[in-house]
Amino acid sequence: MRKLICIFLIVSILCGLLSGCYDRREVDELAYVLAIGLDKGKTNKLKITLQIAVPMAIGGGGEGGGDAEKASTIVTLESASMYAGLDLANNFVSKQLNLSHAKVLVVSKELAQEGGIEGFMMALPRGREIRPNMFIAVSRQSAEEYIRAVKPVLEVNPAKFYELNFRAYRYTGFTANTDLHDFYLKMKSLYSQPVAILAGVGRFDEGQEFDVKGSTFDEKNRSIPLEGDFVAGEITKSGGVKAEIMGLAVFDGAKMVGELDGEATMYYLMIQGDFNNSYMTMHDPLQKDKLVILNIKRSRNPKRDVKMINGKPVIDVKIRLEADIQVLQSGINYEMPQNLVILEKAYEDFIKEGMKRLLYLTSQEYNTDIFGFGERVKQQFITWGEWEKYGWLKKYKDSTFNVDVDLKIRRPGLTIRSSPIQYSNGEGAQ
Amino acid sequence: MAMAENKIKFGKWEASALIITLIITQLILGFPRLMVETAGTAGWIVVLYVTILALLAFFIIEKLYSSFKGKDLLDISERIGGSILRILVGIIFLAYFIFIISIVLRSFAENMKVITLQQSPISYVTMFFIIGMIAGAYAGIEALVRFCAIVMPIILAGLLLIFIAVSPHFNFENIFPILGTGPIDIFGKGFLRVSVFSAISLLFFITPFIKTHKSFRTVGYVSIGVSAAFFFVGTFAYLLVYPFPIGVEGFLPVYQLSRLVEYGRFFQRIESVFVLIWAASALIYLSSVFYFIVYVFKKTFKLEYYKPLILPFAILIFNISLIPPNLVTAVELESKYIRTYVWIISFVIPIVILVTAKYFKRGTNKEEKKNA
Repeated sequence: MRKLICIFLIVSILCGLLSGCYDRREVDELAYVLAIGLDKGKTNKLKITLQIAVPMAIGGGGEGGGDAEKASTIVTLESASMYAGLDLANNFVSKQLNLSHAKVLVVSKELAQEGGIEGFMMALPRGREIRPNMFIAVSRQSAEEYIRAVKPVLEVNPAKFYELNFRAYRYTGFTANTDLHDFYLKMKSLYSQPVAILAGVGRFDEGQEFDVKGSTFDEKNRSIPLEGDFVAGEITKSGGVKAEIMGLAVFDGAKMVGELDGEATMYYLMIQGDFNNSYMTMHDPLQKDKLVILNIKRSRNPKRDVKMINGKPVIDVKIRLEADIQVLQSGINYEMPQNLVILEKAYEDFIKEGMKRLLYLTSQEYNTDIFGFGERVKQQFITWGEWEKYGWLKKYKDSTFNVDVDLKIRRPGLTIRSSPIQYSNGEGAQ
Repeated sequence: MAMAENKIKFGKWEASALIITLIITQLILGFPRLMVETAGTAGWIVVLYVTILALLAFFIIEKLYSSFKGKDLLDISERIGGSILRILVGIIFLAYFIFIISIVLRSFAENMKVITLQQSPISYVTMFFIIGMIAGAYAGIEALVRFCAIVMPIILAGLLLIFIAVSPHFNFENIFPILGTGPIDIFGKGFLRVSVFSAISLLFFITPFIKTHKSFRTVGYVSIGVSAAFFFVGTFAYLLVYPFPIGVEGFLPVYQLSRLVEYGRFFQRIESVFVLIWAASALIYLSSVFYFIVYVFKKTFKLEYYKPLILPFAILIFNISLIPPNLVTAVELESKYIRTYVWIISFVIPIVILVTAKYFKRGTNKEEKKNA
């Protein structure tokens, strides 16, 4: 009996103690931040925008389906630092703010260019609540504008929107997986520099307003913009979600030094070995006014090699891709082996040219090794001291590049032989 | 009670499980960071190097021990230097155990605060570990080793799961430059890191329970081998994910690795597995070492019972653990002193005692003569 009483007493006491009295936090007493936006402040160092989940609206309150518009609430405030801002926000948000479900950190381009993110990038990994896989994005407009423009149409839950949208690079190739962990490592690295997803707010409300002033097709001497010739906010589209992602923000340490458009981002992914698959449009090599579209996939991991010749880096990149024919507007029978070679060669040259443009842009204009070629150079050193003294990041600007692209078209889709469209005036006849 | 203790016997599996769990605890606390601190990108080479050193030291000890089947270090000390040496050796090991358990207790409590119980006072968190230690010591060595035999495979499987799951983040270029901060750091500073195997010293006190020399030898090699394999995999994985010099920033390397695991939108936040492993290791480590503190004290001073010692020692350890003013001091005490110099106590003192016993006092034991 005494033993029983003892056990009962111990269990009763432990029940109280083990429930973690001091750290007890009820789920419905917490407000989960989904997105954090950072802009340059007007009255203080930072303007902080917090998108906070409204779980009742996400769940629909038991009435079947939630309301996307009401699924989150957005607050903006100014303070000296991010954590100071959270403290301030806790004064007018009824529940305690919690960052453990924050999916994205959006920084305005203005702040990123001034290197204003240095301070909080150093603070972020220290925080237990912030996840290392939180996405990092740079907004071409203010971060507040971007977050306020996130009004998901196909999802109720904004967190799901961010997760799906920011992972779309796997089938578009127009952004990359840039999370906090990766950004932090590269920011402090001696052989690689970080990038962040480029975000923006669409400029157009209606189709009539469309223009291509913001497209990069002109710089590439193209007659029309191809799908990769845009950066976030400049895509010629109306309707749907105004918030867009396209391209990458290029950093030198914690300071943003440039932008990459969608096409350059695709080449970045290919060189990094992170490219999965994507459509790629090009002018038909035999009929320039028509387009060809291939569905391109990575065939093998890229081969990268760095040699030092006369104290200057010579970088060799070999990319191996395979593709399926998606569209042949001209009706030329590219499926025939002798024609297939022409198409493959044209694509190889097209990609090679784009890659060289990107590589020289990063080395000569941005002077930042976002590809991590320094990793290959590091292998040539025996000790860390020698490598540190070598100063790869300073030498990258003198690099020359040899790019080799090998593309093999494997399948023609469901059409094995193309034939042209016939017109009454005889056009199209071969 | 003494009679009962003599009857306790456990097998090679249980003993190995105990020693492995005690050694492997460091992997959870901060071992990979310590290796990266020692030699930079060559931290993994330090692991291989100290493993060879530990195996070499154990080889010598094991050969010397062959003449002292079933005797622990205190028995052997008594044989060569009488009660004085027995008490002296006992006090040295007691001081070492008390120091190490206090720092580790504080580290575990602080880690718990960092990971999950941020608002709870440190004394409140420490109290839970103390309760576990007391319960473990009351249950005795047999219960502890049997518990270890069950939990150790779970701990190792959990660690392996984390290392495998984090593999998409591996970057094999991180091990270059191959010699890290240089051969002097690897083989000079690295030499002191042999202390990571210091928990093997507990094997010299469980010899009466494992009886045969063959078992002693097997347990020693298996424990060092398995622990070294996990140390290597852990350090290598950490280095491949967190390159030098960022690798020296991580406070809890394995926890930080587990936070990176993510497979799709569903399989995330695997660090809960880590917390389970971590809590299990902490409890086993603390209660086992605590048991040995009271056991060694009892044996050193030839007391009949150890249970009345449990509460006073628990209070003593609790108080010592709260002496470091902050977490950084506790971590520094652990890495600068415990993981640097305790090899002297774990390997040098036993070798000196065994050499003296074997070559200068051999055969003084009547029983041994009779057996011969």
